[in-house]
Amino acid sequence: MTVLKVNGRPVEISDRGDRTLADALRNDLGLIGTRVSCAEGECGSCTILVDGQPSTSCLMLAQQAEGKEITTIEGLADGDNLHPIQQAFVEEQGFQCGFCTPGLIISAKAFLAENPNPTADEVAVGMSGNICRCGAYPYIVKAVLRGAEKIRAVALAAE
Amino acid sequence: MLAEHGPDAMIWAGGTDMTLHWQREKVSPTVCVDIRDVSQLDFIEVGNDAIRIGAMTALATLERAAGRHHILKMLSDITKLMCTPQTRTLATVGGNMCNASPAADLSPAFVALDATAVIFGRNGTREVTAYDFFVGVNRTAVAQDEILQEVTIPLPSDGEIHGSYRRIDRTVVDIALVNGSAAVTVGIDGVISKVGLGLGAVAPIILNAPDASAALEGTSLADVTRDKLAEVAAIAARHAKPITDVRASAGYRQDMVEVMLRRALEDAITNHGGKLR
Ligand SMILES: Cc1cc2nc3c(=O)[nH]c(=O)nc-3n(C[C@H](O)[C@H](O)[C@H](O)COP(=O)(O)OP(=O)(O)OC[C@H]3O[C@@H](n4cnc5c(N)ncnc54)[C@H](O)[C@@H]3O)c2cc1C
Repeated sequence: MTVLKVNGRPVEISDRGDRTLADALRNDLGLIGTRVSCAEGECGSCTILVDGQPSTSCLMLAQQAEGKEITTIEGLADGDNLHPIQQAFVEEQGFQCGFCTPGLIISAKAFLAENPNPTADEVAVGMSGNICRCGAYPYIVKAVLRGAEKIRAVALAAE
Repeated sequence: MLAEHGPDAMIWAGGTDMTLHWQREKVSPTVCVDIRDVSQLDFIEVGNDAIRIGAMTALATLERAAGRHHILKMLSDITKLMCTPQTRTLATVGGNMCNASPAADLSPAFVALDATAVIFGRNGTREVTAYDFFVGVNRTAVAQDEILQEVTIPLPSDGEIHGSYRRIDRTVVDIALVNGSAAVTVGIDGVISKVGLGLGAVAPIILNAPDASAALEGTSLADVTRDKLAEVAAIAARHAKPITDVRASAGYRQDMVEVMLRRALEDAITNHGGKLR
């Protein structure tokens, strides 16, 4: 067994060397919020955080995640309280069918950590690694901007 | 390990090309040597005479190095065209070189900048120029039991170097239909002492064009005209041997590589403060 640290908790996956991390997250750990669509790194729906960096889990081997902090969409909410970016996606209807949404929210988290106060154009470039087949892009951009506002408000309140 | 296991063993760096080759059964290694966490190969060093970039430097790391040197700014701008934010954290500079796609984005810049590939093997390190590094589609000068250690970009001691990279692409994630890069060194006397050119996606390897470079070398920066650069780009474009594929026709590539090189040369001259007439 290989021990991974996923969403703050140690978990075990099999030792097979020939599997992608996305596969292990979904099949061994049941974390099906990580979606696999293209399986070629293009669509971004399998995006997770590896030590805080956004990464396509379909292009990583499961064993390569050993010793790293993995965050999936399941790790964002605090109990029943949605993460501010999740809340913003709900409020701005930043999705239609919802398939790509987990990847978008994870990308948004990494993007806003680097650029907490972006313009709409910067959001569009920052989120360019995630494809939404429904074409909800204008709403997604609004959701990310709203998420940024919420995170800034939380940070201000904490000061 | 590579030597011990022979041709069935392959290097796994960021895996962004490897995963696809492996899924499509273009490669079927029995042993993968995962060099991802080899931190000694993950560095960017700016010296007086050279910039050294470790093979395991992620594209995302190179992207963030823009403020450290104007040549790193040029390379950073290239990485922004590559892959997606969440694959740039995985994809490495060495992997981009070693995958040796004729359309790879960093390779023409490394050829234009006259970079050196430092290759590590059982008998120590050896160096080959970026131009000689590429041998064919997905084929490089790195032998089965060797790895690429770093890429070194020489900096002039008696002048300044500026460069530029231009490409035509269809969408953000897509690879270049055709691309071109230029690097121009101007001596303290204001005379162009060295011109490097790199032509991508117009042959199985990245091309250079010594005759075109020579046509510009020796010219005073103040005397460079748009017409002169167009002439140099036209000479360089004669080296192209493009093919037609799903992305573009050979004719389109032939015409556009000249345009890319002309623009890259114009950028490089402008970056030197040259006024183009
Ligand atoms: C969605 C997507 C978009 C992409 N877009 C672009 C693009 O716009 N432009 C572009 O140029 N490329 C693009 N690529 C291709 C790819 O991401 C790059 O070529 C990347 O830099 C490869 O690096 P890697 O570390 O992932 O290499 P890997 O996949 O790990 O390795 C690639 C090859 O190089 C060998 N190798 C790797 N490192 C070494 C080393 N140090 N020594 C010896 N051999 C080594 C491996 O054995 C393998 O054969 C894209 C890929 C994807 C999936």
